[in-house]
Amino acid sequence: MATSIFGTGLSALNASQMGLATAEHNIANLSTPGFTRQETVQAARKPQFNGAGYIGQGVDVNTVKRVYSEFLTKQVLQEQGLSAQLDSHYAQIKQIDNMLADPNSGMAPAIQEFFSAVNNVANAPESQPARQALINNGNSLTARFQSINQRLVDLNNGVNSQITNSITNINSYTQQISSLNQSIVVAGGANGQPPNDLMDQRDELVKKLNQEIKTSVVKQSDGSYSIFVGNGQTLVVGAQTMALKAVLSPSDPSQVDVAYVKSDGSTISIQQNSLHGGMLGGLMAFRDKTLTSTQNAMGRVAMGIAGTFNEQHKLGQDLNGDLGVDFFVKPQPLVINNTLNKGSASLTANVVATGDYSALTSSDYELTYNGGTSYTLTRMSDYKVSIFKEGLPKTPVDGLTLSMSEGAVEGDKFKIRPTVNGARDMVASLSDPAKVSAALPIRSQASLNNVGSGKVTAATVNLPPPGAPEPLHPETDKNLQQPVTITFNNPPTSYKVTGEGTQDPLDVDENGAPCPPPDIPYVPGQDISYNGWTMKITGSPAPGDVFTVGSNFNATSDNRNALLLGGLQTADTMANGTTSFQGAYSQIVSDIGNKTRELEVTSKAQASMVEQTLQTQQSLSGVNMDEEAANLMRYQRAYQAAGKALQIANTMFDTVLEIGR
Amino acid sequence: MRISSSAIYDTNVNKLNQQQGKLLHTQQQLASGRRMLTPADDPFASARALEVSQSDSANAQFVTNRNAAKHSTAMAESILQSVTSLLQDVRTATVGDGSGVLTKSDKMSLATDLRGRYEELIGLANSTDGLGNYLFSGYQGRTTPFVKDSGGIQYVADDGQRMIQVDSSRQLATSDSGADIFMRIKNGNGKFTVDASPNNTGSGLYSQGTFTNPAQLTGHKYKIVFNVEGSGSEKKISYDVVDLTAEKVLPKDSSSTSEEVSDFDDEQVDDTGAPENEKVLSKNNRFTSGQVIDFDGVQLDITGEPAHGDEFYVAPSGNESVFKTLSDLINALQSENPLGGSTAKAQFTNSVNRALNNIDRSMENVSTIRTSLGSRLREIDALQVTGEDLGLQYKSKLSELQDVDFNKAVSDLNQQQTSLTAAQKSFKQVSDLSLFNYL
Repeated sequence: MATSIFGTGLSALNASQMGLATAEHNIANLSTPGFTRQETVQAARKPQFNGAGYIGQGVDVNTVKRVYSEFLTKQVLQEQGLSAQLDSHYAQIKQIDNMLADPNSGMAPAIQEFFSAVNNVANAPESQPARQALINNGNSLTARFQSINQRLVDLNNGVNSQITNSITNINSYTQQISSLNQSIVVAGGANGQPPNDLMDQRDELVKKLNQEIKTSVVKQSDGSYSIFVGNGQTLVVGAQTMALKAVLSPSDPSQVDVAYVKSDGSTISIQQNSLHGGMLGGLMAFRDKTLTSTQNAMGRVAMGIAGTFNEQHKLGQDLNGDLGVDFFVKPQPLVINNTLNKGSASLTANVVATGDYSALTSSDYELTYNGGTSYTLTRMSDYKVSIFKEGLPKTPVDGLTLSMSEGAVEGDKFKIRPTVNGARDMVASLSDPAKVSAALPIRSQASLNNVGSGKVTAATVNLPPPGAPEPLHPETDKNLQQPVTITFNNPPTSYKVTGEGTQDPLDVDENGAPCPPPDIPYVPGQDISYNGWTMKITGSPAPGDVFTVGSNFNATSDNRNALLLGGLQTADTMANGTTSFQGAYSQIVSDIGNKTRELEVTSKAQASMVEQTLQTQQSLSGVNMDEEAANLMRYQRAYQAAGKALQIANTMFDTVLEIGR
Repeated sequence: MRISSSAIYDTNVNKLNQQQGKLLHTQQQLASGRRMLTPADDPFASARALEVSQSDSANAQFVTNRNAAKHSTAMAESILQSVTSLLQDVRTATVGDGSGVLTKSDKMSLATDLRGRYEELIGLANSTDGLGNYLFSGYQGRTTPFVKDSGGIQYVADDGQRMIQVDSSRQLATSDSGADIFMRIKNGNGKFTVDASPNNTGSGLYSQGTFTNPAQLTGHKYKIVFNVEGSGSEKKISYDVVDLTAEKVLPKDSSSTSEEVSDFDDEQVDDTGAPENEKVLSKNNRFTSGQVIDFDGVQLDITGEPAHGDEFYVAPSGNESVFKTLSDLINALQSENPLGGSTAKAQFTNSVNRALNNIDRSMENVSTIRTSLGSRLREIDALQVTGEDLGLQYKSKLSELQDVDFNKAVSDLNQQQTSLTAAQKSFKQVSDLSLFNYL
């Protein structure tokens, strides 16, 4: 009987000690990340029967268990993974947002100052300082474009190195998880008791892994975790791991792709848009949805300005009386041959005519050769697919004129990035102020001897017609500056036009001599176009009145082209003629602003979501100090009481022994 | 509900961070004076602000442009004012002395005076803007527009008008071609011109002629030939009117004809007076001095006494430069018809009248252009006022879009400060509560 008293008391002392130890363990791990509070599971021992009934035999501690909910833990995992994605996307886009934040350092003032300089040339076309100022402003405009572009390129490089870092982290986490898998299986198998702290550590690693990338976790019957990524690629099975690797994208070497290392050591790209969640998912989303399109859109503004300004500039005449030349170096689309291509063909994409600049989009494209004369062109922004069965189209597609050399093999892919280098490659190529073409190369005149009241308007130069350009005069008609005379007949209801280039060379009589010029009916105010110029005659000319169009020599004060160039500032030349340069730039700012705002809001909402699920999970599994303090007191008291019981038992023995004395 | 002790800390740290973030944002708004620190704060307003700032900067540029336009227009205006007063002086001097009582030396000194005026006029026509650009040379700012050659003053520049963008959709001319100001002046009455043959021996003085219905005018050349029969009281003066270009078909190559039409002078009339082109409109009309001679819409009168065979011509008006008018006048003052007497007097008076008429037309032309300059200056001033208003509007719109509302921001700051302090104090108090304090 007394032995059972000792036995019971001892079991109580042991149980209390274990309870105290567990409470202390909990208190010690109050701030350990991923720690789940533990508690002892006590049960009464099997009672002993004697005649009076069952006498209790004390207490046993069956196990120490984690207070753990798999459901809540998974929920936290998911919410945290999404939160990590939004946070990393937000952190990246915030950098662009900050870059565009200062109204004095963005593109807007540079564009405005450039066109102010154009206006100043129009105000004083003969002034060398005004022309020099225009060239300087052109240089600072391009420098501004380049510096913004450089920031975006830096961001892209940053994204690449973060992807690489993230992959390193992922590989390290999977290694650790697999070795924990092994320990847990061994520890759990040896004595049937759960290795709580190891399981906590593994859960914590899974959480960290999910903050890098979204994975799916499957718990195996032996207690190990199997982890999969993307479309089911295995990362961890039991004690084995498969590594991920950062490789240069075969379609665009400026980008890093995530690839899967196969057992033979070769790599295979994972479909990039299957990677969601976590920091890596955020980086991918930022690169695909924001960075590329911003860089393209910025390049499109640069290409629009360079292309449109150049075209008009080349229609003019400089201070030396020469036809205008390019003001800017014109950026060209970038074409990247996929490194996996089997064929030797190369693709070229060009922006040819002025109207084509307006049609450019800020999307990238992928062209696939289907064999024969068939090609597939995919616009990446909206995945619009165009199939060309009869070879590449002769007319521009979204402003791009495509041509391919021989040697393509079916399945070859080409990535076209029309405007990505626009901001980088736009350079003001003019350095001589006299070369600014403020004038137009032709002027119209009424003869001083005219009797009638007919007046001529200032002649304008037409854009070159679409199609094959004249090799020597690619920008204008070759007869542009040839003297042309318009003479009114009697009665002055019609006129004749004479001069080089005004007559169809096929219009000859039977001897091969040119026919006399035809009579053309006179309509006041109607466009009269020859040799690439257009003008109007108004009023009532008298018979014999003469109007001439010819070379505009010595025209130091002519500012007609400068006015036309200045007008480009507000002309709707971008996005198929729907907006101006500044408008297209504002669109970028508003786009980034909206996306940043959206991410700011969603990432905040997600953060509070994380907080809530974490609180729920912690309210179950977290350590509460007051509770542990109470536990300490409880087990202390229990220990003291058990000790007292032993003391009483001891006294009982003493009493019995004293009887015999 | 169980509360995890570390969650108390985590949650509170998050909340404090959030509050501090808000406080910092408000503080930055106050420090920068800007409501939007980045486009994300208000994407729509950011994009809108860019557009407004472009409009504002364009508006500011138009102010510069208008000042440039105003400068050159005002300069042209002041030169043309000098031209007007010069022509007026010439007119006054000629009318005052043209009463026919001038002695030869009077004429010579007047001619010397006018020669000086003539040179002055060339100087005015060749004015520059102070930077070496000629005001009236069209596109050719560095080319002297009016040069002397054997044929008088030639305009060697062009018809180009320099324009300046004075408003978003308005370009104003800031120059006028010298040809329009000084060269393209219709002589006669603007539709036709009357002239006397230099071989006339009578004392017939012609008027510049009038017309009532311009539609009746044919644009032909006419000759009025006088016949005098008898003498004394028997003297009978009649005239024939001959159309010199009747049914004349202009040759295909009409360049020479155009010169003929405009540069009407006696020799060419003689050349082209081929009989097949002539058509006698009326014969032996009785002549009364000062009575209207009326044919084909042309009305003119001839006073005095034409001699037999005297001829007067009517031709369509052509362009005559003010320089030619002046030099013709000077020539008239310097030359004397050897016949003397009433013949010479009539010829001199006809020349002076003709010149005065053309000077009037020149002045008219210059004042038309000055009127246009004046209205451009007025338009510039009006645009300048609108531009200033617009500038203010843009500025206030920009401020509305971008600038922080200080009252609101300060009040926000105070509120955020209060709640941050409250959060900090309560956090400390809550975290101090622990059962361990009593163990």
